[in-house]
Amino acid sequence: MSGEALAALLWPALSLAGFALVWALAAAAVQSDVLPGPLAVLAAARLAVSDGYFFHLGMTLLRVAAAFAISMSIGAAIGLFMGMSPAADRAFGGWLTLFLNLPALVTIILCYVWFGLTEVAAIAAVAVNKIPNVAAMLREGGRALSRDLAEMAQVYEFGWRARMRHVVLPQLAPFFAAAARNGLALVWKIVLVVELLGRPNGVGFQLSMHFQLFDVASILAYALGFVLVVQTIELAILQPWERRAARWRR
Amino acid sequence: MQDARAEISGGLSVRLLAKDFGRRRILKDVAFDLAAGEVAALLGPSGVGKSTLLALIAGLDDDFDGRIMRPPGRLAMVFQTPRLLPWRTLAENIALVPGAGGLSRARDLLAEVGLAEAADTHPERASLGMQRRAALARALAVRPSLMLMDEPLVSLDPAGAAAMRALVAQALARSGAAALIATHDRREALTLADRILEIGVPGGDPTGFPARLLADRVSPLDRAARTDPDAVEALHGAWFVAQPAAPE
Repeated sequence: MSGEALAALLWPALSLAGFALVWALAAAAVQSDVLPGPLAVLAAARLAVSDGYFFHLGMTLLRVAAAFAISMSIGAAIGLFMGMSPAADRAFGGWLTLFLNLPALVTIILCYVWFGLTEVAAIAAVAVNKIPNVAAMLREGGRALSRDLAEMAQVYEFGWRARMRHVVLPQLAPFFAAAARNGLALVWKIVLVVELLGRPNGVGFQLSMHFQLFDVASILAYALGFVLVVQTIELAILQPWERRAARWRR
Repeated sequence: MQDARAEISGGLSVRLLAKDFGRRRILKDVAFDLAAGEVAALLGPSGVGKSTLLALIAGLDDDFDGRIMRPPGRLAMVFQTPRLLPWRTLAENIALVPGAGGLSRARDLLAEVGLAEAADTHPERASLGMQRRAALARALAVRPSLMLMDEPLVSLDPAGAAAMRALVAQALARSGAAALIATHDRREALTLADRILEIGVPGGDPTGFPARLLADRVSPLDRAARTDPDAVEALHGAWFVAQPAAPE
């Protein structure tokens, strides 16, 4: 590993170690169950592992994946349509603003009321929260599509698939990346609320259980596991993909 | 019936009555036929509507009065900006055009325009001159029956322009396509074309509209003769300095 890469890892590691130290000192000073130290959280995590920790984390991940996939595809379709058709933009721009500003909790409650406390309602609630964000982002992408390149593709008789793959999608890649990044952050947070309100498993459900027991160490154990998974996805999937999509840039 | 004749003979037929942008008439009464293999220059000042006319002929804009018949076969266009896909290499840019025949042919075509070394470069890492040459190679890749070129030499340095001019002449001679080259440069037109179509505003007001076809002259210089700068200069003097094209 090069020195530069090592330094790039070293600083975040040092920074996080500093955070753990401050946390441990604060916990030692407070000496209370409501602020357990890092070691107590680790112990709680170990205990939770034998009590379905990974099952609950897995359930949450599945819901995130489903809601993310649904909202990205539907949101992108809506956004592109609005971006490429000024008439559609005029007709539905107001709807988009409305849904963008609808509080997440309202859609969650409405979904549960209308569709019952089901998996479909849970995932739909998350997706409905996310779709307007993706649509707004991809609408910008649709507006920014190059007319020059579209004309080139027309003159050279590109088929629909080639046009999508070589002309349109590469132009949209930065917008997809931004939507995915913002989207994931939003979906993570809303999924927990959805689980807390109406699912019998998942991290959100476990958090509400441990909240009722005032078991802060377990709550933190789930929270940290969650942060770890999010960061891993960010580093292992999102960032390499963004780098790949931008490799042609000067 | 002239339109049908042009189609049968494999050429281009343009019978443009009027082209408007909003309430402003940009082009009016532009009519000409181009036989298969004939190379014509579309000569006129910048902003007069040459690119607009090319877009009409290419079928990119069908909002006009009149009739335009393209020859059967493929169309190729060399745009004023190269319009390469920045996220694909030069070779990929050619290879992914339908009918271009894959990467190895793309490399051969790039080699013909002096870009053998740059085949795997992305466009933004290549100079404008290189991008223009790659765009020319892409146009040749589809074996067009009609080639439209929009200011192929503009904003190149003199050496780059000379190299590109030679490549364009060679490419047109070899492809056998009918070609229409839009340019504002008279010498460039005389160097490249068998025939000069001048469009402009009668009376010479450069800011006025609409532009029309002012003159349609066949060059006395053949392909070999045009490579001689003195011959081009003499014709330039005879046509544009001694007796400029009289509007009607």
